[in-house]
Amino acid sequence: MNCIITIELGTNAVRVFAFDFQGKVIGFQKGTYPTFHDEPDHSEQDPEQMFITMLYVLKRLLNEVVYPKKYGVSCICFSSSMHSLLAVDEDGVPLGNAITWADNRGKKEAGSLKGTQVGDAIYQATGTPIHPMSPLVKIAWMRNHDPEKFSQTRKFLSIKSYVIQQLTGNCIIDHSIASATGLMNIHTLNWDASALEFAGISADKLPDLVPVTYSDIRLKREYQKSLRLSDSVKILIGSSDGCLATLGAGVWEQGRATITIEDSGAFRVIGDKIIEDPAQRLFNYRLTDRLIVSGGPTNNGGVIFEWFANQFGDASLGYDLDKTIREMVKEASTATAGSDGLLFLPYLLGERAPIWNANARGCYFGLHIRHERKHIIRATIEGILFEMLSIGKTLENYREISSLSINGSFASIPFCTQMIADMFNRPVNTLSHGDSIGVGAFLLSATELGIFPDLEQASKVVQMHETFLPDPKAHQVYRQYFEIFESLIAKLGDEFDQLAALQSK
Amino acid sequence: MTRTMFQYDISPELAMFPHLQEIGLIKNTTIRLNSFLQECSEGIGLRLVTEGKFDWLIDGKLYVVYPGDLVLLLPGQTIAGDNDILNIGSFYSVKITAQDQSRVLLGKWSMLNHKEKLSVNQILTHNRQTPVVSLKEAQTLIQALLTELKSEEVGRQSMVNHFLDQLFVYTCRQLVRQSNLRRDFPQTFFNLEQILRKDLAHQWTVDEMAVLTGMGTTVFTEKVKSFSGFSPINYLINIRISEAIKMLKRGEANVTTIAHATGFYSSQHFATTFKKLTGYTPSEYRKKNLFK
Repeated sequence: MNCIITIELGTNAVRVFAFDFQGKVIGFQKGTYPTFHDEPDHSEQDPEQMFITMLYVLKRLLNEVVYPKKYGVSCICFSSSMHSLLAVDEDGVPLGNAITWADNRGKKEAGSLKGTQVGDAIYQATGTPIHPMSPLVKIAWMRNHDPEKFSQTRKFLSIKSYVIQQLTGNCIIDHSIASATGLMNIHTLNWDASALEFAGISADKLPDLVPVTYSDIRLKREYQKSLRLSDSVKILIGSSDGCLATLGAGVWEQGRATITIEDSGAFRVIGDKIIEDPAQRLFNYRLTDRLIVSGGPTNNGGVIFEWFANQFGDASLGYDLDKTIREMVKEASTATAGSDGLLFLPYLLGERAPIWNANARGCYFGLHIRHERKHIIRATIEGILFEMLSIGKTLENYREISSLSINGSFASIPFCTQMIADMFNRPVNTLSHGDSIGVGAFLLSATELGIFPDLEQASKVVQMHETFLPDPKAHQVYRQYFEIFESLIAKLGDEFDQLAALQSK
Repeated sequence: MTRTMFQYDISPELAMFPHLQEIGLIKNTTIRLNSFLQECSEGIGLRLVTEGKFDWLIDGKLYVVYPGDLVLLLPGQTIAGDNDILNIGSFYSVKITAQDQSRVLLGKWSMLNHKEKLSVNQILTHNRQTPVVSLKEAQTLIQALLTELKSEEVGRQSMVNHFLDQLFVYTCRQLVRQSNLRRDFPQTFFNLEQILRKDLAHQWTVDEMAVLTGMGTTVFTEKVKSFSGFSPINYLINIRISEAIKMLKRGEANVTTIAHATGFYSSQHFATTFKKLTGYTPSEYRKKNLFK
């Protein structure tokens, strides 16, 4: 019997799954690594620790689960979070840490590009909104603020490219991850000349572009030996977490969209056409050479409710954050839809889609002396999900959406899932598996191994677990409050900027 | 300014306590220029404010200290009055000689066992940047100490040292509680990880790590496992190997030096652990992982 291994280099942890050929999980292990915030806008990770943690977890899964259960390995497929940047020197040695998607150091560089003719052209060509998250802006920042490191850099890699390079010796990047760098032209699948010019680099400073199905690489002999894997194991470069989560949520047919809410969140659809939003609120990332994942990301997902639970939860529950969250959700359910007129803007971490304002901040609006704790808890959850609705509405300008599927730990809290159904007034499906990224990587691998004829057929094996139907009465309430939510967002732009200006003094 | 002080070289009360340099109450009723110039702590200094409000610069950083606040100064830390002035109010001052400035602060007088002394040491040194603790037990303890010094009853020597131990133990517990105030385990774990990184060469035990988070060893191990996916020791090995790889790639030091700097007890132990995980010996690793 053989199995497929998927390796997901996520924001906080590496997750490694082993699937049998039917898509059943036969084993799973994870390992975390830290994110360093040495300066307020910085967010970095140690590439060596990520690599070693990945190797350790992979080895443990093979030795403790896969081999004892008498499985062989047919394929190893990679995914990773998007937008990371790692500069390496002449010898391929990292010049410091990798910069993650959450890093905002390039605010100025992004601000100076956004809205210009060049910026508009780069967004149209690359599909990546102009924002400090994108490696395009990060490289420009480094050129301006760390010229020594910039000039020492032989290659600008993504964290996935680094891991693959360590394992195989090849310096490559897949079209999915590359399409989130702000440097690849998603129409021609080449590095984009005007983006390269803005970054101040030539194409040879970047890894070679390959399709997500590329597998013409081999593990170095030492790794084959220490992992007890044969030379014939297919090493599939794979795609990005966002694209694979969409595939793994079975979002294929027209009219289907998926909502992911973990710490952060996103609203996504798959299609074969690029969405051209003149306001530049949406991303277009390549899943395959034919397919595009479009949507909008939010910074403020479950992490906001965790913050809230940490500050205001019952202290006697000690370190048990999950229990605190369960208790608070229970309390929220005793208030009614709309929290008796209390609204919450969840922008504690600034915001990406749809407002794209790094200076945005959180805000409770409409507090009244009759409001109780339960209303504030409920309003906090409603605010996080209204934000998702706001992204969904932006996307609905371009695509008709008739049903939703959800994944991620926050969205799958039943209370939240029902609220999503009520807010969107659409049926919401939960998935029968817990990790859509892993399943997406499995589907991609299984298709490459010939188990499925194509990705469309593959996506049909994704099973829905439960369907939450919208409650029309609750929807009426949310619809009215959402109007106020949207007009608050529209009104508050300048004040956010003023507040940020005061604080940076 | 009035000082009601016992001092080791003057007061017969302290004759049996060479580690206790001074203890007593300082009361200041007038503001005078240059009344509090910078002092550098030789041993461990404790100041407990009982009245008034003091503006103190500790290692150059301004702290406003109120009654009930205990200020803790480790060897080498500096303290001065803001604008070189001593504010109006009173505070207890206790000065204790530190035995060995790097590894164990509490001397032979302390009845804590060696492991406990090491933990006290780790907690105090890692909280250097937070020299002010709010400790409600402190005043009672210092007063009991003073009463005991003046008494001539049986058990005096042990009782004095016992109260001193208590003062340090309560201070450490409060420091741990303060730094882990947020009930969020990831943050606590991150703080711990920073401490481990700063002193990677130390032979950390799980007990020592647990103490720094204020948890029991069993609960700690379980929490680390479910959060990080690794046992505390295996997580530490991750950090050690990652740091070792960076040093290897920079080509700065030989394998033995790297082994010791990253906490492996011998280069053999390092090489074995390294090879088991990566499939390479440390010296091969550098050569074979560079761009061709």
